Amino acid sequence: MTNTGQLSRRSLLAAAGFAGLAVLTGCGSGDDVGDSKDLSKKRNGAMKKYNAGEQFKATKALSFSVLHNNNPTYPRKQSWLFWKEVTKRTGITLQPVDVPLSDYEKKRSLLIGSGDAPFLIPKTYHPSEVAFVSSGAILPVSEYVHLMPNFQDKVKRWKLEPELDSIRQSDGKYYLLPGLHEKPKSGYSLSFRTDILEKIGVSLPTTWDEVYDVLKAIKAEYPDSYPLSDRWSTNTVFPAAALLSYLGQAYGVRAGWTYENITFDAKTQKFVFTGATDEFRQVIEYLRKLVAEKLMDPESFTQTDDNAVKKLLAEKSFAISANPQELVQKYRYNLERQVKGAKIEMIPVPIGPAGEIVLGGIRLENGLMISSKALKSDNFVALMQFTDWLFYSDEGQAFCKWGVEGVTYTKSGGQYKLKPGISLMGSDPKAPKDLQKDYGFFNGVFTYGGSWQLVSSTFGPDEKKFQDVMARRKQTPIAPAHPLRSAEQEQASLWETPLTDHMNQNTLKFALGKRPMSEWDDYVTELKAKNMQQLVDLHNKAYERYKKDNG
Amino acid sequence: MVSIQTPTRAATTVTGPTRGYRVFQGVNAVILTLVVVVTLYPIINIVARSLSGEHQIRAGEVTLWPKGFNLTTYKIVFQDGTFWRSYGNTVLYTVLSTAVAMALTTIYAYVLSKKDLRGRTFLVGIAVFTMFFSGGLIPNYVLITSLGLKNSIWAIALPNAISVFNLLVMKAFFENMPAELEEAAQIDGLSTYGTLLRIVLPLSKAVIATMVLFYSVSFWNSWFSAFLYMDRADLMPVTVYLRNLIAGATEGGNAGAAADQLTQAAANIQSVTIVLTALPILAVYPFVQRYFVSGVMLGAVKG
Amino acid sequence: MSSSTMTGSQPRTGAAPDPPPDKKRPSGRRSWRRSLRRDWQLYSLAVLPILFFLVFRYLPMIGNVIAFRRFEPGGSILGEEWVGLRYVQMFLSDPSFWQVFRNTLWMGLLTLLFCFPVPIVLALLLNEVRRTALKRFVQSISYLPHFLSIVIVAGITVQMLASDGPINHMLTAFGHDPVRFIQEPGWFRTIYVGSEVWQTAGWGTILYLAALSTIDEDLYEAARIDGANRWQQTWHVTLPGIRPTMFTLLILNIGTFMVVGFEKILLLYNPLTYPTADVISTYLYRTGVESNSFSYAAAIGLFEAVIGLLLITSANRLSRKTVGTSLW
Repeated sequence: MTNTGQLSRRSLLAAAGFAGLAVLTGCGSGDDVGDSKDLSKKRNGAMKKYNAGEQFKATKALSFSVLHNNNPTYPRKQSWLFWKEVTKRTGITLQPVDVPLSDYEKKRSLLIGSGDAPFLIPKTYHPSEVAFVSSGAILPVSEYVHLMPNFQDKVKRWKLEPELDSIRQSDGKYYLLPGLHEKPKSGYSLSFRTDILEKIGVSLPTTWDEVYDVLKAIKAEYPDSYPLSDRWSTNTVFPAAALLSYLGQAYGVRAGWTYENITFDAKTQKFVFTGATDEFRQVIEYLRKLVAEKLMDPESFTQTDDNAVKKLLAEKSFAISANPQELVQKYRYNLERQVKGAKIEMIPVPIGPAGEIVLGGIRLENGLMISSKALKSDNFVALMQFTDWLFYSDEGQAFCKWGVEGVTYTKSGGQYKLKPGISLMGSDPKAPKDLQKDYGFFNGVFTYGGSWQLVSSTFGPDEKKFQDVMARRKQTPIAPAHPLRSAEQEQASLWETPLTDHMNQNTLKFALGKRPMSEWDDYVTELKAKNMQQLVDLHNKAYERYKKDNG
Repeated sequence: MVSIQTPTRAATTVTGPTRGYRVFQGVNAVILTLVVVVTLYPIINIVARSLSGEHQIRAGEVTLWPKGFNLTTYKIVFQDGTFWRSYGNTVLYTVLSTAVAMALTTIYAYVLSKKDLRGRTFLVGIAVFTMFFSGGLIPNYVLITSLGLKNSIWAIALPNAISVFNLLVMKAFFENMPAELEEAAQIDGLSTYGTLLRIVLPLSKAVIATMVLFYSVSFWNSWFSAFLYMDRADLMPVTVYLRNLIAGATEGGNAGAAADQLTQAAANIQSVTIVLTALPILAVYPFVQRYFVSGVMLGAVKG
Repeated sequence: MSSSTMTGSQPRTGAAPDPPPDKKRPSGRRSWRRSLRRDWQLYSLAVLPILFFLVFRYLPMIGNVIAFRRFEPGGSILGEEWVGLRYVQMFLSDPSFWQVFRNTLWMGLLTLLFCFPVPIVLALLLNEVRRTALKRFVQSISYLPHFLSIVIVAGITVQMLASDGPINHMLTAFGHDPVRFIQEPGWFRTIYVGSEVWQTAGWGTILYLAALSTIDEDLYEAARIDGANRWQQTWHVTLPGIRPTMFTLLILNIGTFMVVGFEKILLLYNPLTYPTADVISTYLYRTGVESNSFSYAAAIGLFEAVIGLLLITSANRLSRKTVGTSLW
């Protein structure tokens, strides 16, 4: 039976273990970062005067660690011209910590969580920085942007203050340096088999009503097909995530993978629950109509991307969601080889009741966090100046994207052109070298945003046409800042998952006709049982509080 | 005695099969054929895909035979120096980790199989407890970092050295072994170490072979430890490399990803991956299987 | 581990010959000294494995304290402040949690019911195959699914069940309407367990085949002399021969009952099938995507662990009382 010898030994072991772990973790965080405002002692290697448009050059050789998202399409090489040229121009040596792209977020969270993060943490999508705010592991960068003249300059010139305000936390600071775009850049829309449309004598639709008509016309010609069979339903919690996102946009509501449970209603100046709004219901009703009339494949909401593309190539469907890359490289490339005379084109996002708009906020791209440990370093000021130059100066951005003039590209009249023998994403299949793979430029880790001229310099003809139309549309206003405190955040995220689940599940049920629309009110009641109102109130409270505290 | 050493017993059987048994053999053959067919179809399909052209795959034409024969994906993978380095890493990690794991598991299983050892329940308890309670990611990471094991092969070999499942299975085998043998050995003056090495292990080839197979397969397929504790791409095993390759090829569908930088989704990278990772294990398997042969012989003669 | 399970001697009725039952257990320090003197070599062998468990298993476990302390990513790994049972209360009062809890139990039960016996049957069938080459062939083939990544297995499953897939072709051939299996909550468990059996049955036979290979041929000989037919031989010799393996695996399976295939479910489910498909791990995953709720996850993890431990200790005790096989 139980003997006391064992018990006491067990507790002894446990105690020893505790002591051990305490030693291991004793040097964790917790100690203060010192007087953060006094930067005079942290100017090692920094330039005395550094202004926008100026070349940054450290006064002595320094090195900074950077988390490197290792993209298998262009795996990192130490021999990249990028590394050498950065050091040559700025005197800074970057020390990459490789993380496979497949699990980047997981490792990032682990490194920050264990206090082992590098100084620079790029490829961070808002709001994933929020989780790290309250522990103080991440630098509140907004306090130090005065060291970043190019960043400030672009924010001012492109009027990005409201966007930045939207990522502020409850302390009024923001913790992420996002990529800044001069103009909004859109991603996804519908694509149609234009040869089929020509054959049956209809033109490309520009509104959602026309989309319906076109699908109907296709159905009449091919009664056994589902004219639209869509994708982007797997690897995301949202079904038909792309379609719902741009269809939702046409109704002025965030749906699909742009979905957020909380939406700001400009009329009442209050936050409301997105999945219970009228606009959201209209979106679902539209889909329901398509499914009911067999214009849209019911499997669109659950099938894998591969299957959806398969149906397109086998001519079981004639329309599908696209982005410019998928359009060119997957649909068109394969269709041309497999179906004689097939043509496919992507249309600007069809217009709906909300008019010619794009959702606000898309001028901020993902960006970088800076570890709080950086602030303790003597080289802090140099780090900020360097970051400013590399990520935010026109010169730095052009360098990260196109490389070195005369070596990797030439420029005339504002037009960038790759040097012969260098290819970018298949632009010249016969070229012996590749800008990404062999030189390390156009790397997602270092290339964000920029002026429209720079951003559009890489558009193919299809994308140019698409983006030009989209860039002319009006942006909807951005929701005012309403940051939650960390305890509130914890509670909110526990409410949000069941709410999002229920919204998704019923979007599908309604759209697929498994639940009558007359039960919409019941659905809203069910949401209320899952703490919908509490969540909305929490955000409204945070909104009022932030208004009061920060004017 | 354990039959491993006596596969020639075949000659001793005399009884002929009864009619009922013949019927059973027939039914059995049908069932096993079904098992083979059901199992094999998707796998042949994968091999066929790995050798097929992209648009035949996309159009769903590939079933049991490669269509539009194409080795591009294999070439892409093979031409990449990183692939071979990763493969080398995997071999190294698997061999070392399996060796460490076998040593620790065997000796502990042996200790635990001694039913009259004092404190045995406690020793088993220590192990079983860890099947359910474990530390989170972050404490584990901090531990490995503090021990200075990061970016070293020991970060992979040590933390996974004993699988409690394997340990208990092995213990059950040892317990099932005739005790007289060991007693005789001890009377002959062999120490515990000697008994284990000279008497017990040679009689446990079947279980050792099984455990080597279990451990090596799991180390071969594992990616998480390496992903956690390695900071440099050239230290990654092939699983991480291929996992990343697949992610890159299918990333187009990821909401957040900068889609304009992720291109060329190779249609059959997944099937190529499967073939490449499973092949070596399958090649090694027949050599391990030798140790199960005794059982086969038994089956062969019992009718 | 609860101390009540750490009972000492146990009756042994296993097939293998055992040493005579324990003598009455001597108690007190002196006997410890005696067993140390007698078995010091055995204890010395246990030192390294114990060290392994202490360092690599028990030390990190201290981090579980964040189930009762508020953890902030990037802060102290032992949490910021005590919050008592707040996270436990949080999930106990979360209706969604109870739904996924029920689903987890269901899925675990069905997996146990099907994935445990199938390998035994398959191993016994294989054991009856007389041609060595044929047997080896079938064996090797049946292992293959084990090497497929879950992504592929899920992909295959979905393809088979698609509205234009082989199964629906068969259904329509029999005049039945095609079924969208993947969108039907009622089908999810069948699909999951089916693909699980397909993937694990062959590999699961290895242990049994290894056990079968160690059964003493003399026992069959003796049975035959006693006039036992094949079926009786299987019943009286083969099954008892693999019984320790069977029960060890059964107990382990019961203990790990709550650990259902997270990745596979993630790849097979969709919002429509959440009502039956969503399990604790997938629910935690979706909660975790929003924010790094490590504390909440740790609390649920501890809850799961306690259940697992209860299950395994009761299964173990039951098995020891009824058939004499036990883990400890």
